[in-house]
Amino acid sequence: MSELRNDRSYSKTHEWLLVKENYAEIGITDYAQNELGDLVYAEAEPAGSVLETGDLIGSIESVKMAADLYSPVDGEIVEANTAIEDEPELINQSPYEAWIVRIKLTNPEQVNELLSAKEYDEFCRGGGK
Amino acid sequence: MKRTPLYEQHLALGAKMLPFAGYEMPIQYAGIREETLAVRRRSGMFDVSHMGEIRVRGKDAGAFLDWILSRPVQGKKTELVSYAILCLEDGGAVDDLLVYRFADADDYLLVVNAANKDKDVAYLRQMLPDWRRRNAGMGGATLIEDESELYGQIALQGPESAHFLAAALREEAFSEDFIASALAMKNYRSLKLERPGKPVPLILSRTGYTGEDGFELYLPEAETEAYWKRLLSLGVTPAGLGARDALRLEAGMPLYGHEMSESMNPLEAGVGFACVFGRDFIAEKTMREGQVKKLIAVVSESKAIPRDGYELLYEGHPVGTVSSGSFSPTLDKGIAFVRVDKDFPDDAETFSMEVHRKEQPFRRIQPPFVKRG
Repeated sequence: MSELRNDRSYSKTHEWLLVKENYAEIGITDYAQNELGDLVYAEAEPAGSVLETGDLIGSIESVKMAADLYSPVDGEIVEANTAIEDEPELINQSPYEAWIVRIKLTNPEQVNELLSAKEYDEFCRGGGK
Repeated sequence: MKRTPLYEQHLALGAKMLPFAGYEMPIQYAGIREETLAVRRRSGMFDVSHMGEIRVRGKDAGAFLDWILSRPVQGKKTELVSYAILCLEDGGAVDDLLVYRFADADDYLLVVNAANKDKDVAYLRQMLPDWRRRNAGMGGATLIEDESELYGQIALQGPESAHFLAAALREEAFSEDFIASALAMKNYRSLKLERPGKPVPLILSRTGYTGEDGFELYLPEAETEAYWKRLLSLGVTPAGLGARDALRLEAGMPLYGHEMSESMNPLEAGVGFACVFGRDFIAEKTMREGQVKKLIAVVSESKAIPRDGYELLYEGHPVGTVSSGSFSPTLDKGIAFVRVDKDFPDDAETFSMEVHRKEQPFRRIQPPFVKRG
């Protein structure tokens, strides 16, 4: 079964968001990496990109499928993870450590509107769409 | 949703299952990359039981097939397996398929794409009366039967396939003579064994859809699971439809619906070798004269992966569309077939494609992308 972490929030598009000291990290969930299969390509949008909820933060691809990733909150990218661009399989191996982007939150209270681990788990069991 | 005889096996192996052509099929087990490399380096096996088997037999069956297929099938040796196109009168392709012959003249088995099986059966049944009218007195006893439910099918592919086939046949108590005959088969040859009490013969052929050495095993439906389990216990890697598609593209092989279709002339897919012109068959003029496109093969020169429908640019201008694009696990690069105008210059080598909103470089190569061995 897919791994979940209780220390972070989740979106219905299968991203996780982890608030750290002065930024938040965003990545994809274990459920998502398992659905996609072996990743062979990953690219994060560059630092400086200003985001509204739903804006593109990166692209990942498996052999058969390409998937765009979207920001669950408003913010600005302060760091893009270049390690995943060289080794996309890191996302399969450690989806909760292999963050895609670090962002500065514009509206921190938006984090409360995201799903908890439990709510995300229920969402996935109900089909995940 | 239909299931093949190997459905429980796939679940037991933890396969990711998805619907395909009305069947629940395994897309991958350990992973597309791992499965693709296993086939290239050692041996993998595919459940292809969903494919269709259409029996065409009876007096004049061969003459009818000669008319409706892209190449004549009558009068050839029984062991030959022929790749052919099932033709529309206007030169389009209803399907691409393999033709197997049984010992009696006028007894053929067409192995067809799962997604097209019902369409193919209906088309053959619709066209037979047409052909009979043009050939008064012929075809009265020609039968067209869908035998798909009677067969299970396993494709064993990779450089070590012969070793694994021999080991499996030995365990199934086949004679050393039979095993030797199986291994001695050259490409596109087959061996058939009628066995008393079995609804269909055992058919082995040295054919496949991966570009590697390999065999396709057609089994009575009830025996499919036993053969799969044997090959599994011998150490063959189970491989799913995801790897199957990656392998066939790497091998430069066309896929119906992508490189040819009812509206895409098969010559545009590079399968002229399966077409014999200069004879009286349904698409003699239309297919030969109807080619307007051709396929070129391109490899990514960056990390970008080309996908179906992307536009290929030459000197900044769009010159074609990707008919099949994917990531090649063997080359570790994106690869694609692109349909361009038939007269597009042969010496054009450097291209680009917009991938993730950036123009990325692609280089033309002579297919296949990956050669055998």
